[in-house]
This record gives sequence, structure tokens and C-alpha cells, in this order.
Amino acid sequence: MTILKLVIRRSLMSVVTLLLVSLIIFSMLEVLPGDVASRILGRDATPETLGQLRTELGLDKPAPVRYLSWLGGLVTGELGQSLVSSRPVEEILAPRIFNTVLLSAYAFLIYLPLTIIPALLQALNRDRSVDHAFSVVTLVLLSVPDFLLATILLLAFVVMIPLLPAISLVDQSSSAWEYFRAMTLPALTLAIVMAVYAVRMLRDNLIEVLDSDYIRMAELKGLSRRRVLLRHALPNALVPTLNVTALNLAYLVGGVVVVEKVFSYPGFGSLLVDSLQLRDLPVIEATVMISAFVYVVANLIADVAAILLNPRLRTG
Amino acid sequence: MSVDTLSAPPGRTRSRWTSLPSLWRQTPLSFRIGLIVLVAHLLVAATGQFWAPYGFSQMGTGRPLSGMSWTHPFGVDQLGRDIFSRVVHGSHIVILLSLSGTLLGLIVGAVLGLLSGYVGGWIDEVLQRFLEALISIPFLVLALIAIAAAGPELAGNPVLIVLVVALVYAPRIARMARSVAVDIATRDHVTVARLRGESAWSVMRRELLPNATSVLLVEFALRAGYAPVLIGSLGFLGFGLRPPTPEWGLMISENRALIIVTPITVLGPGLALASLVVGLNLFTEGLARILGRTVKLGVQ
Repeated sequence: MTILKLVIRRSLMSVVTLLLVSLIIFSMLEVLPGDVASRILGRDATPETLGQLRTELGLDKPAPVRYLSWLGGLVTGELGQSLVSSRPVEEILAPRIFNTVLLSAYAFLIYLPLTIIPALLQALNRDRSVDHAFSVVTLVLLSVPDFLLATILLLAFVVMIPLLPAISLVDQSSSAWEYFRAMTLPALTLAIVMAVYAVRMLRDNLIEVLDSDYIRMAELKGLSRRRVLLRHALPNALVPTLNVTALNLAYLVGGVVVVEKVFSYPGFGSLLVDSLQLRDLPVIEATVMISAFVYVVANLIADVAAILLNPRLRTG
Repeated sequence: MSVDTLSAPPGRTRSRWTSLPSLWRQTPLSFRIGLIVLVAHLLVAATGQFWAPYGFSQMGTGRPLSGMSWTHPFGVDQLGRDIFSRVVHGSHIVILLSLSGTLLGLIVGAVLGLLSGYVGGWIDEVLQRFLEALISIPFLVLALIAIAAAGPELAGNPVLIVLVVALVYAPRIARMARSVAVDIATRDHVTVARLRGESAWSVMRRELLPNATSVLLVEFALRAGYAPVLIGSLGFLGFGLRPPTPEWGLMISENRALIIVTPITVLGPGLALASLVVGLNLFTEGLARILGRTVKLGVQ
């Protein structure tokens, strides 16, 4: 009962947060100087054409009314029209979101072994040279910005060992193999950035678990080292790492902006940068709302998982 | 990394403070390395303009794209500008913008967070929801829309970059400061101050702030460590400082097309940026250890 209450309360808070996000984005982008109509018309603007376009776009209505109709559109999935291409925003977004989801899934697949293997190696060789070496490597990688890491990977796998394409342009006609080749470098970049945080966390968790009484018990029972490690230590050490993984998902939403741009991958992140350059307001608003939505949901899942996994709450 | 954790802050006994070398030896190794890297960067930033071989926008310093050499350690770009000199000239820009942006974010965040946590009630609740909403927008996305909202007249203005860094950091720092304030607010000395009839502002300044110093110090170092990356990312995407400003992220973006011909023109500024962040991260980790706190590097 209490668990259900906690989960519902936490979910309602997420809804409130998202409403506030929409209010912040709307006021930042719409109330600030220069409205959409003058931006569309640019230098050709005369008071008459401006007035006409404003009525057409509904800009003559007061800001609260416009906010509510925009919010209504967000909920029903009608996101308006692009100012640049006049196509419906949801039509522009759909393939971009598909590409980014695909890229993120690929990145997560690389991320898991990239996190678990180094962390296991470190925990098993605690305070020996392997552990120190990985600590130094993760610390340095932690300090390398994603756009620089992407550029270095590009240098390594495109220029020095020409294996992969430098530009990851794909569209609906691309084959699965083309997609795979195009996504490898951006996915690898994202996976490394995410793994670096998680390795440091998982190493510490593993060491803490390996020191615990039940692991010593398992060892004393004569279980094989492998079994102790994989069946007893790792699952327990992974639970606190869940939170980092949720944080990583949140990073991914921002990270794709830079990484997709570096590799010209036609995803959601590069759409945001392009629409910002073109000042295509409806597209900007929709993409920012979606990125906040993913962030909020990722955090919600992490918190709910923590509530469900907490044995003290389970008994209620 | 060494694991010589210090359980108590060094120099609790007065006599240890007297000798600087012994104090230095007591600090964690990461702190020492970080500090050395940072001091080197600060020295370059402060004195670079006087000894950099060429000006930051001086063209024709060598054969364009001629690569690494003794006279041009980081190579020469398409316009014949010496990249090493540009990196040196850019140093104080990157450091100044990072520190002032983080400092502004720290001041705004600390004041908001501490007051909110102390005052409590509906003001606290509303402010928390609002800050939570700001944090929910990925920080790079928030920075980008803030720059878009500021309009084309302000784009590329260093003041805008400082304000954007502060806008991104303030909510995150406020959340941290608030949790400290909530913790301290129930202590006796705060209750006494309140019963004395002191205003919330004065309680915050005299009772809460001194107790939150170590948390805020670590928070500042942590955020400052990421600020050069944020500024670099904005420059890289074309939303930061304008060319020909020798900002490192912008330089990496400008020279990226030349990476096949002269990789060093990208790796040079990259090395400068990464080493500054490594220094700041090591410094932060060491500082946290000295102050008896734990810090999760890199978690935004």
C-alpha cells in the first residue's frame, strides 16, 4: 500500500515537473523579443503583412491562450508546422526519433560490457597496478569532452585505420549494414562516455560487496570464485549502479546533440541543432520538450526501481 | 590513484600548520597533481599574451597546414595562424569565462538553495519544483535554448556565455545547498538566531553559510571542472564565442575538417582542454578528500 502511494506520488511530481518545463520553454522562446511572424517574414515585413500573418498563426491572441493551445497540441501529438519546411512537426520528428532510439540502443549494448568488464577487473585486482591503470584511464576519459572523444575516434577509425565512414548519413533507403556501419562510431563515443562514469561507480560497489560477510560465507562454503563473483557479488553491486544508468540515459539525451552533429547522423540531436540555427520555433519547442520528457521518465524509473528494490519498503 | 585517505582534516594541531612543506605532504596525491596542473594552466593564462610566439589572429606565420614542427608545435591552420599561439591566447578566455560563470551560478544557487531550505513552506515547495524543471532540461539543451532566446544581437557575447553557464549551474547548486540548509536548520544555534528575531537573510549569512562552506567549495570545484567542456561544446556547435576568438572548442571545430592533413591542429587545443579538466577533476577529488567529503566526478 505504502509502495503504491509512494510510486503514485513520485509519478505525479514528474507530471508537475513536465508542466513547469513546458511553461519555462514556452516563456523563454515565445515571450522574448522578436515574434515568429517577424522571423518568418524577415526583411520583407510590412505592418500589414505582419498583422495578417500574426492573425493566421494565432499570434494576436494573448500569451496564456497560446500556451494552452500549444500544451493541448503536445498532449494530443499535434505539434504544429515547421516554419522552414511547412511540414507538420511530428512528421519531421518521427524518423529522427527512430534513428536516435536505434543509436541509443546500440550505444547501450556496447556500454554494458564496457562497464562490467573493467569494473570486475579492477575489483578483483584491487590496489594493484591493473586497478590503478584503469583508474587513471577512466579519470582521463572523464575529462575528455564528448566532441573531442568523437573527433579522436574519427581520427583513429576513419583516417588511420580506414574501417568506418566519417559521415553517418542514413535514410529510409539505407540497408541494415549501412545503418550498422554509420552508427558504430557515434554509438561507441556515447558508450565510452557513459561507461566511464559507471565503471568508477561499479568498481567501488563491487569492492564493498566483496568485503561483505555473505561473500565471505559463500567463499567459505567452497563455491567457485567465478560463481561467487557472477552470481553473488555482481547482482548486488549492480543495484546501486542502476541509478547511474538512469543518469546516463539522461546524459544520452544531451549527448546525442553533440555526437550526432559530429558525425552528421540524422537523429533527434542534430535536428535540435539544425532547427536552432534556422530558428524554427515549433521544432525547437517539440524537441526540447521530448528531451525533458525522456530525462524526467528516466529519473522516475530510477526512483521507482529504488523504491521497489528497497527491502525495508517492500514489507510496508 | 593512491588511497591514503585522510580521516581528519590535516593540521588539526596548530603546530602542523607552521611548516608549509609538511602540510603539502599531507595532502592526497591527486590534490597535489591537480594543483600543479592547475597552477601551470593559470600561469599560461596570466602570462601567455607576453610570450606567445604569434598573435591569436596573426596570419602567415608559416606554411598553412605544414603540421608539427619546432616553430609550430601544434601546427598551422588553413589561414596560416600558429595554433600553439592561439591555444596560449585562448587560455585566459576559457579559464576566466569558466570561473566567472561557475562563481555566478554558485552565488545565485547558494543563496536560493540556502534561503529556500531555511524558510521552507510553500515558497520552498514552489521553488523546488521550478528548479527541478530547469534541471530536467539536459544542460546542453538548456544552454542552447537560452542562447537562442537571447537573440542574434547577443550571440557570441562573452557575457552571455557567463550567464548561460550560471543559468545551467545555479539550479543544480541550489538543490545541493538546500539539502545542506534543511540539515542545518534544525540545529540549536539556528533556532537561537531565529528566536533572537534575526531575518532569514541574516540567519542564512551568519548561521547557514559558514556551515555549508565545505560543501559549496567542493561543488564549485566540481562545476568549474565541467565549465570548460560546456563552453567548448557551445563553441564547437557554433553557439559560443565567435571566430576569430581562440576558444578551444571553437578551434577544434574549425580545424576538424583538416584532421586528415594535420591532426595536431585538433589534438593541440584538445590536449589543452582535456589537461585543464583533468587538473580540475584531480583537484576536486583531492579537495573533497581533505574536507572529508565524497564527490562523484562527472555526474551532472
